[in-house]
Amino acid sequence: MAARRFSLALPVDLALVAAFVLVAVLAALASSMLHPFDAPELDPSPFLLPLYLFRSIARLLAAYTLAALLALATGHLAARSAFARRIILPTLDVLQSVPILGFFPAAVAVFIGVFGHSALGVEAAAIFLIFTSMFWNLAFGVYESLITIPEQLRMAADQFGLRGPLRWSRLLLPAAVPTFVYNSMLSWSNGWYFLIASEIIAVGKARYTLPGLGSYLGNAITHGRTDQMVLALLSLLAVTIGTHLLVWSPLETWAQRFHIDESGARPRTPRIVRLLSHSRIARWILNKVILPASQHTLAVTGRLMDMTARLGTAAAIGSALSLLVVLALVGYYLYELVTASPLSAEARRIPFSLALSFLRVGIGVVLAVVVAVPLAYVTYRRPRVRAVTLSVLEILGSVPAVAFFPLIAVMMLRLRLPMDVGAILLVLTGTFFYVMFNVLSGATAIPKEMNEAASSLGLTGFHYLRRVFVPAILPSLVTGCVTAWGGGWNAIIFSEYVVAAGRTYSVRGIGATLDRATYVTGDLQVIALSLITMVGLVILVNRVFWDPLYQHVAVRYKLET
Amino acid sequence: MTVAAPTPAVESRREVLLRLEEVEQFYHGRIRILGPLSLEVREGEFLSLVGPSGSGKSTLLRMVAGVLAPTRGTIWLGREPLRGVNRRAAMVFQSFALFPWMTVLDNAALGLEARGLSLPARLVKAEKYLELVGLSGYERAYPKELSRGMKQLVGVARALAVEPELLCMDEPFSALDVLTARTMRDLVLDLWGKPEVMTKSILLVTHSVEEAVLLSDRVAVLKANPGRIEAVLELRDLPRPRRLDAPTVREIVDRIYGLLA
Repeated sequence: MAARRFSLALPVDLALVAAFVLVAVLAALASSMLHPFDAPELDPSPFLLPLYLFRSIARLLAAYTLAALLALATGHLAARSAFARRIILPTLDVLQSVPILGFFPAAVAVFIGVFGHSALGVEAAAIFLIFTSMFWNLAFGVYESLITIPEQLRMAADQFGLRGPLRWSRLLLPAAVPTFVYNSMLSWSNGWYFLIASEIIAVGKARYTLPGLGSYLGNAITHGRTDQMVLALLSLLAVTIGTHLLVWSPLETWAQRFHIDESGARPRTPRIVRLLSHSRIARWILNKVILPASQHTLAVTGRLMDMTARLGTAAAIGSALSLLVVLALVGYYLYELVTASPLSAEARRIPFSLALSFLRVGIGVVLAVVVAVPLAYVTYRRPRVRAVTLSVLEILGSVPAVAFFPLIAVMMLRLRLPMDVGAILLVLTGTFFYVMFNVLSGATAIPKEMNEAASSLGLTGFHYLRRVFVPAILPSLVTGCVTAWGGGWNAIIFSEYVVAAGRTYSVRGIGATLDRATYVTGDLQVIALSLITMVGLVILVNRVFWDPLYQHVAVRYKLET
Repeated sequence: MTVAAPTPAVESRREVLLRLEEVEQFYHGRIRILGPLSLEVREGEFLSLVGPSGSGKSTLLRMVAGVLAPTRGTIWLGREPLRGVNRRAAMVFQSFALFPWMTVLDNAALGLEARGLSLPARLVKAEKYLELVGLSGYERAYPKELSRGMKQLVGVARALAVEPELLCMDEPFSALDVLTARTMRDLVLDLWGKPEVMTKSILLVTHSVEEAVLLSDRVAVLKANPGRIEAVLELRDLPRPRRLDAPTVREIVDRIYGLLA
């Protein structure tokens, strides 16, 4: 053991030092060498790719930090105060199901208005856009894990006097960790998914290109530069796999110790941590920097969160009021836009376009279910296969769906299939992962006793599928479908209108209508009407279809634990 | 060994630690689940609350521990009415309520941390009580790795470590198998008698009549709908160690069953 530690210490130390130097050099170069944001085109030199990558990751990191802190505060507020809950939950529900992507141009206009046309304004707009793709599931996750803390544990915390910041660091934060890590992973993937849309920002005629991997990839697609595209995709894949191996997978292992179940093995230490523990530098950093820093962060977070909790009702009323004001302003503004002039021909075609898009999203969700359920059934009972499948899915899910677009478009051209098929495939990239992840986690949660009972009763194959598997995963399946439905509407916005290699591929639909109005005609009336009808439809379907369905399924099929 | 009236007569020999005065508990403010009832917990005594489910015995214990406020009535701690959590009591839970993300040692030291003790001071104290319950050597383990009996030992050490005047135990042995429960009962009696343990009063909630009779100085028998005290039995003259097959013990057990029927 001692000999092995000695042999590993030097390589690990060297690797660490090399990584530090690399990051420092990249940071220095990225902040100085890149062209300003309003340069019409990005410098396509492949040597700049690491710098672009660095800038994109920094953007994601800023958005994630913001989303994580706000999600903790919001989720806690909703879990703590019944009044706040009545405001927060419906708001989150609507905002997460609405195709946020459609509102990007408006949001960007606001940010640029506030900051002026400075680089800071555009950067802030981009970070805000990424934030909107990360926040909702994190906040819901925090709320869910806080309200499911077992009553006796909560009471023990009361009885032993855990209050304020201490309650945060000992009870609330730890209880939220497993769901939080899982959702962070999804949010991070989502951030990549939105990267192209967030780094190339168009407001009316103005176009801002922020240096980053997303804009690089977007430019490569538009100009049909396959070599740049492949290069960008490969770097993206490398970064995603690296993040998965170095960050998410160890974090998941670490998070297992926070699961509230009664028995189990000793909590495992992530492999990367065990490897790093061979290094003297790593140990020094751990003891002198990371441990004190994380304790400090924990204390500060605890105090911060406690403060929001103390403000509780006041904060809820404040945010509700400001939300109302914003809604009223947006509503008034949209109304003005719509009624400013008589309806154009394009505007009158909106209902039909909406119906077509509705069909595409619907088919996208159904296809996702058709693929995901059998795949989950085949994989979930073989632990090794499941682990590999999960990793592959996590990595694939991190690839921004936009990156699949040119490949699918090329395939469509080769096979001479109509663009309609292509559009549905593109929507599928926005729906599939939601369904798949939910179904897999539902299947993994099937109690062992239930499977043993099924096999002792001789239920196999089709009978097992019908009597055990499908009923057991039904609640997760519906949750997955609801999220996929939201994701599908987001995807529709860039699925129906693709510019690749100088050509425009488009089908009739609300997404195409919105894109053309945003990027080509600048017709504000059409933009406003498309947004209103699309949001209205999404909310309507949620209320009359998904909500009742979920209630029904949850009551009848939820597995008691 | 006499059956007292539902409202117990004041016994002058021992100081009163805590007194419930005409407390009542309502569900949703409308449905009466408990009381009005009065009861004293005396210094140095082992008092059990026994009764069927729905008799409000756990509710009563929670009010004493201060995690649940009575809808009406007052709980007196000496001359002070109890408001909020009872800092002079500590609680042991039926399903242990250990924090799965903390080691055994951190769990045992939790109440001390909340009371603002310094890190070395709380570790010393937590280690002392872990040793007293026989868990030395398990400080670095996580609750998940322990058997149910050992988990409850951590729960007991955690409660004793804050050195409360009153130990409140809510069905502490009912999640354990019969043999472990028996060992645990002996251990609690043993701890109660040890000079190193500061806690001298114990309030135990149980649905097992035998358990109550084997352990207690006094047994309060509760009945349901709404929860009320049917009788309080004085058992201080019953010699220890007690055995279930002793005729005197058997007789008291039968009498309580008679009261509950």
